[in-house]
Amino acid sequence: MPPSKKILLVDDNPLVLEMMAKALSKEGFKCLKAISANAAMLVLKQHTPDVILSDYHMPDIDGFAFRQLLIDEPAYRDIPFMFLTSEADNQVMLAGVNMEAIDYILKDTPVPVIVTKINNFLTAVHEQHQRSVQELSRAASALNLHSVPKALPVVKDFEVDFWHKPFQDYPGGDFIDFIKVSERYTFIVLGDVMGKKWGAWFFSFGYLSYIRAAVRICIAEEDFSTKSILQKINNVIFHDPVVSDVLSSLSLVLIDADTAMVTYSGAGDLPLLHYDCNSKSLSKVQSSGMLLGLMQDGSFDEQTINLNAGDKLFMFTDGLIDYEDADGKKTDYALFESELSPYLSRPFAEFKQSEFISSIIAAHIDDCSLIYIEKT
Amino acid sequence: MTIIADVHSNAVVANIQPAEANLTVADSFKTELNTLVDEGYKYLVVSFDNVVYVDSSFLGALVSSLKYAISNKAEIVLSGLNKDIQNLFGLIRLDKAFKIYPTTTAALSAL
Repeated sequence: MPPSKKILLVDDNPLVLEMMAKALSKEGFKCLKAISANAAMLVLKQHTPDVILSDYHMPDIDGFAFRQLLIDEPAYRDIPFMFLTSEADNQVMLAGVNMEAIDYILKDTPVPVIVTKINNFLTAVHEQHQRSVQELSRAASALNLHSVPKALPVVKDFEVDFWHKPFQDYPGGDFIDFIKVSERYTFIVLGDVMGKKWGAWFFSFGYLSYIRAAVRICIAEEDFSTKSILQKINNVIFHDPVVSDVLSSLSLVLIDADTAMVTYSGAGDLPLLHYDCNSKSLSKVQSSGMLLGLMQDGSFDEQTINLNAGDKLFMFTDGLIDYEDADGKKTDYALFESELSPYLSRPFAEFKQSEFISSIIAAHIDDCSLIYIEKT
Repeated sequence: MTIIADVHSNAVVANIQPAEANLTVADSFKTELNTLVDEGYKYLVVSFDNVVYVDSSFLGALVSSLKYAISNKAEIVLSGLNKDIQNLFGLIRLDKAFKIYPTTTAALSAL
């Protein structure tokens, strides 16, 4: 994944602002512009740049006072900050760098040098970030903690596959599990703990443990109802102070390989998509259940879907319906449906290679998970 | 400051400030909203007038505050959801957890 290159330029001179924005845009930067410190603070309410490049000499609030405002605000303090100014006085430069600025660049520096400096900095940050994530992932792996399975289940007359991409390559809040009870019954679990990165990832194990336990208890009691399982999980989570403050969605599907019937219950999850090969139609399968832990009575229901050869079911989390265009981020379930449509009669591997999936990876807005079930 | 509170005689309106209500503001939003519950308000209108996008972290914070409000015998209602957000609430059944009004005025007059 290339480093993200969103930059906030702050300068009271509109010409300098335009010139820098033009030069940086050419190098692949997404530029946000602010004509004053106050304007920059407004931009920051809506955007989080990867780096801020600010002038020193500005009326009202100068560059130092602006830097101090950012340092005083915990949400902005850690955004890397560079001064770009014509002020060449050594004392001023030293004072600037001492304000936790990563660089102090003079305006007469050739533009390609400025661009290279910013690029080098972002690449170094990105590499360090990747190394940290890799180290933590290795630690998690050593503890044998996985929130997505390492292997696909083998189910008679079914193909089950999945695609998963964590948010910015951190392990995140999405979790997937395949619980093969017997040759006949296989449970498919897809959950999304509401959060991102490590916090959500940690809780995803708590949820997975509850879910695995509930499934096993129900099996021991010969209760194969997905609704019963969700009720059991919800009841425990609702009363558990450790996880009750963290909400999770869950889609639970039971495949009965003997009858080719699929049973589904959901908790605050996105509707599944069901492709009927015979009529070549795609329809939503929506459950009534609320997010796990939200209400004591989760209003769960259970639906049975009879799958014929070529029929498919798609289970997915919200990362697949979020996208970003020129106007900002949006949520659009219908867009995912329309992007999936051309691939319905094609192998899942082709959809995984599609432009849409590439764009989702490039946007990396949230954890993304998609489970594919086909009756062969 | 993720929300600006606007106090009415028997209610408080919490105006979400960021256009993008996401992970970076989810915790402060929850803390600020829960503080309003602690201050004794029993009817809280969360206004989404400024919001164009919510992520699941923010929804988690909102729902967590709802649980906190319920346990304190307070009610949280929502107003001003744009079409995308309204659709999302319908898809994941959050429209059953919250009363949703088109405007803050409608939410206040429903009290």
